[in-house]
Formats: sequence, C-alpha cells, structure tokens
Amino acid sequence: MESKLAHHVIAGEGRPPWYKADGQNCDCYVVGIAGGSASGKTSVAQRIIKNLNVPWVVLLSMDSFYRDLNDQEQEVAARNDYDFDSPDSYDYDILLETITKLKEGKKVDVPIYDFETHKRLTNKHTTVYGANVIIFEGIFGLYDKKVLDMMDLKVFVDTDVDICLARRIKRDVAERGFDVPGVLQLYKRFVKPSYDNYVYPTKKNADVVIPRGLENLVAIDLLTKHIQRQLQERKMQSRWDMARINPPEELPSNVIVLDKTKQIMGMHTIIRDINTSRHDFIFYADRLATLVIERALNELPYHSRVVTTPTDNTVQGLALRPHIGGVSILRAGGTMENGLRRVIRDAVIGKILIQTDPSNGEPQLHYCKLPPSIQNFSTTDSSHHTNSNNNDSNNSQQNDTFIFLMDAVIGTGAAGLMAIRVLLDHGIPENRIIFLSFLAGPQGLHMISHAFPSVKIVTSFVDRTLNPDTLFLEPGLGNFGDRYFGTESD
Amino acid sequence: MSTSLYVAPAQVTILPSTPQLKAMMSIIRDKNTSRADFVFYSDRIIRLLIEEGLNHLPVVEKAILTPTGMEYQGVEFQGRICGVSIMRAGESMEQGLRDVCRSVRIGKILIQRDEETALPKLYYAKFPPDIATRFCLLLDPALATGGSAIKAIDVLLEYGVPPERIVFVNLLCCPEGITALLEKHPRIKIVTAEIDEGLNEKKFIMPGLGDFGCRYYGTNH
Repeated sequence: MESKLAHHVIAGEGRPPWYKADGQNCDCYVVGIAGGSASGKTSVAQRIIKNLNVPWVVLLSMDSFYRDLNDQEQEVAARNDYDFDSPDSYDYDILLETITKLKEGKKVDVPIYDFETHKRLTNKHTTVYGANVIIFEGIFGLYDKKVLDMMDLKVFVDTDVDICLARRIKRDVAERGFDVPGVLQLYKRFVKPSYDNYVYPTKKNADVVIPRGLENLVAIDLLTKHIQRQLQERKMQSRWDMARINPPEELPSNVIVLDKTKQIMGMHTIIRDINTSRHDFIFYADRLATLVIERALNELPYHSRVVTTPTDNTVQGLALRPHIGGVSILRAGGTMENGLRRVIRDAVIGKILIQTDPSNGEPQLHYCKLPPSIQNFSTTDSSHHTNSNNNDSNNSQQNDTFIFLMDAVIGTGAAGLMAIRVLLDHGIPENRIIFLSFLAGPQGLHMISHAFPSVKIVTSFVDRTLNPDTLFLEPGLGNFGDRYFGTESD
Repeated sequence: MSTSLYVAPAQVTILPSTPQLKAMMSIIRDKNTSRADFVFYSDRIIRLLIEEGLNHLPVVEKAILTPTGMEYQGVEFQGRICGVSIMRAGESMEQGLRDVCRSVRIGKILIQRDEETALPKLYYAKFPPDIATRFCLLLDPALATGGSAIKAIDVLLEYGVPPERIVFVNLLCCPEGITALLEKHPRIKIVTAEIDEGLNEKKFIMPGLGDFGCRYYGTNH
C-alpha cells in the first residue's frame, strides 16, 4: 500500500510532529546570535539555516522589536539625534512574549516596525506558526536575562571592529543614502559607545564565540552539526507505536457514537462494501455526514428563549448560542464540509492539510489556513498588543465560537492529534473543539482522549481493530479519501 | 408542549427532544422568523424526520467485503418505497425525502374540505402504478384534526397498500389528531418532531406554528 501511495502523493516538505504522544508540545530549539553592528550576524544565521537543511526554521530579527517612539522622541529621531543603538530602544516584553510563544509551539504575530514613523504597524504583522528551530539575531540578542533563559544555544559573532566599521560605511552609503562623514559621526556618537558599553559585554553570555563571522566556516559547520544532533534526539516516531497499543475495551467518556439505527447500519454497509460505486459512496457518505453534524450540534450550549407563535401563544424554546467554525483535515475531512454547510449555512471553514509520510508512516503538516474569526480567542494578556486591533471586528464572537474539526476516519489518531495541536497552538481552547468523523478505531479515540480529554469526539461508528501494518481500520472501509474523490488505483 | 400529560400510543415515534431540535422548532414556531429561515430550518427538521421515518422500514442482514479484505456483517435496505405527499403543504417535505432517497417515486393526493358537508373530500390522487407493493411515507407537516390524513390513508388502502406499510411523517402533532387517526387506522405508524397541547376552537394546533404551507410557500398575509 505504501509504495502505491508514493506514486500518488506529491511529496513536499511537511512538518513532522512537534509534540509528544500525550499531545504536549516539545520545545522548539532557540538559537540566539548577537554581535556588533555589521558583524555578520544575519549572514551567519542564514548560513546555519542553509546548512541545517531542515524545514520550519524561523529567522527572527531584533529589528522587529524596536519600541514605539513617543512624539517627543519622534522629533529627536527626525533630527537624527535619537540613539537607536541603545538597549533601551527595544521592547523586551513583546520580544520575550514572542519567543516564549514560539518556543511553546504557539502561533505568534511578529510585529513589523516602520522605520519612517518609528512605530510598529498597527494593522499588519507577520504570522509565524510552526517552528522547529528559531534563530534570533540582533545586536542585543544576548542582552536581556529573561530572553537568554529561553535560548538553547547562544552565539556571539566577534568580528574585528575595523571590519565592522568598514562594512557599515559601505552599507549606509550604498543603501541608506548617507555620506561618509555622517556615518562616522553616527558611529562615534552612538554605535561605538553602545558596542563598548552594552554589546561587547554580552559576549560573556555566549556559549560559543565565532571570530571573523561568516568567513569562519569551520565554526559555523560545527555549530550546525551540534544543532542537528540535538534535533535528532528530540525526534519521535509516534504513529506506529500508537498502533501497537492495546486500548481498553471501553470507549472514553468524551466519545459519542451515533445510535445504531437501521439507516445508519444500512448506510455503513454501503460505504464499506468494496463493490459500491463511487456515485453511491459519495451519496451515502454525504447523508451520514449530515447526521454526524446534527448529532454534534447537541454537544453545544443553548440558552432558553421564549417565542410567540402565529397563534399568539408563547412557547419556551431554545436557541443555539455559539458560532460554529469548521476545520477540515484534508484531504478526507473535506468530505464533511457539504454536510456542515447544509446544517450551518454560514459556517466559516478552515483547512489543515496533513499527509502521512510514506517512508515512516508519520503525519506531516503541510498547510494550515484558519479563518481569523476562529483564532485569537481573547485572552487576558492581549491588552498591550498594538496589533490586536486588526481582529476587533471578530471580538464579539471570539469567545463564543466552537470548532467542528472534521476528518473522515480516526485510525491511529495521529492526524487528529496533530490537527488539534495546531488548533490549540492558535489559541483555540481545548473544550471548544468537537472532533467529527465517519469511522473511528479504539486506538485513535483513546490516544486523542488521553492527550486532550476536553475535546469531544462524535463518530458514526467505531470499528474493532486497527491493522498495525497497514494502519487501516478493520473491517473498515478502505481509504475514504480515495473512494470519495476517485483517486484509488484500479 | 405539555407532553408530560399526554402519553403517545406505541405507534407514534417522537424525535429525541435534543436541544438542537428544540432550537430549530423555536425558530419555526416564532411568528417573527423570516421566510428564508423558516424554510431552512423546516428543511433541516424534515431531513431528520425522513431519516427517522426510514428507520421504520425493514432491513435484512447482509455480509459484505470491505476494501481491507475483511468481511463486515451489515444490513441491506429492504423493500421499495414511495413518498405520498398531501398537497399542498406535504410537498414541502418532498425535497427532504429526495435528499436521502434519490429518484424516489412520489405520489400526490389533494384533499380539500367539501363546502357542503364540511368533510374532507378527495380531489386528486396520482400514484405509481405498483404502489401496493411499496412502503409509503405519507407526508404532511402538521396533524391537527386528522381529517385529511385519515382520508389520505383511506385512499392508500383502496389502492391496496397494507396499513402496516404506511408511515405518516409530520413535524407537529396534537393528541386529538393522533387519537382520531389511530382510531381509524390503528396499524399505521406516525413519526413526528413534537406533540403540542391540543386544538383551539378554530381547530388550529396550540401553541403550534401557524399555517405551515402558507409560511413555507410565502402565501400568508
């Protein structure tokens, strides 16, 4: 089966699991690089990234974390009298928050600093999610104690100051339209004193000092090898281990299975039958999807409501409280979207593409696009975010959204686990997630319930066993996505 | 709504009173609900009613082979079905039936009140020729006095449909209607979403939801 898969799936670089089997995030690896202005920090960082050759490396520049200048400071800056080389010109709170979140594997919005207005842009930011390695560089990269504590490897690039000055003159003249005396004046006034007083002393915080910067290929290669070795140690092979776990007989209490009515049993017989035409498979899958979604709606909160009927009588009724956002785990989870739209006409729908790596059976995250209205659940600490304004329009519904996470089959639970991890990393609370599927197996249900006990799971049927070699449920229904989309081999 | 006082006979299946069903019923009962919402939520309830109605049809055991090569002990739908809608309101339920049973055959009955006798009178009936061999889902959104439903079932029986093969599917019932219908035709089955308190002096279901057909088709004033 795996060899056949390889012919069909266009294999890109997906992100392997970044969390442990219990669903908790592993820390990502943080490298801090400091050094004087024009010492070659960025070049060293880029060289490390190139040598590492692993996906999901994020390069974070300290330039993004300049402090907003107040009006008075703006005037000073306009006269070129403002000292941007001072450690006080950075916002270490946001820097620390950003690195902490990234290290925890959470989604972050990295600010974009506008050098014209000397303020962070209020309506724009760079969203970063899913880093295995973060490389953070800046002249004060090794300055703040709390930021230092977040780092796994601290590097100081110690390039000769004459060379740094020469590079700086060249760069500022060519790229920033300065003349040489202007550069030198700035250097004498701000750059050099700052380097001597603040930057150079941080060298003692470094684990490794790289003399000569980018030229020092030996040092960079040694560093790269070290990082690679550390990453290797953190790597996991989770999925196949899951398949070999013997789950308890009883299903977890957060699992809801549809009643075994004649129609449900009949529809399952049709979609499981190897001889069922695709036409029928799609039709009955869609019918089942509607019932799964309708069942899941009963897990949501309702509030009471009095209505007046056309006969002018009043009735004690109910109304659905929350908004609902769908998130389908592609490819097969997309088959539930029709069912969702049939029931919730205006449901927003996000998509997460998770594919199984044919070489080792591990899930890989390839793509993730979630509507803004289902992210950024208001948390207590968002008040000082200058960029939190851009989601104001959704604030009213943020606290009232439930996510229907949809996949066709929960086998090992590996894809579901990854998808739930993605949702949590985007700030969606665990108890707001309801995971829907046509078919599930005990392993996957226990795996997910164990990792995320507050996630409810609604499925139309639970099969007995998961084949540890093919990772298909048995008796099962084969590859749901292939049968629905018609991509199975003949 | 005070179903606690009324215990429906065994022939009646009421949809489980889930919060979601209550919320949808609240919407279609509300006189201020827009027509678009009325149609949408009625259709959703009808879909659930039809799914439940089909559960009253027989199945036989069937073993099949799944793509994993394993045998699965399943069931197969047995017997051919046919929808019969009581015009006009019953036609609103046809799409719900078609959504779950593609290209299902649908017969129609038009029953109007006879101005002279004040009794329901059959004006029109058109069925598939082999209706006597089919299971019939009789469709009408509301069961008030039961007059037209009784008449419709009379017609089906005349055409040779055995009463135990008739499932009357509706959104809203009242005890008077159920009693009258089952007194005349005790062997049929009824599937409904909710049972209301009863009828008022104008024979409207109370608290009810108004004239379903008028609200669905937008012909109310």
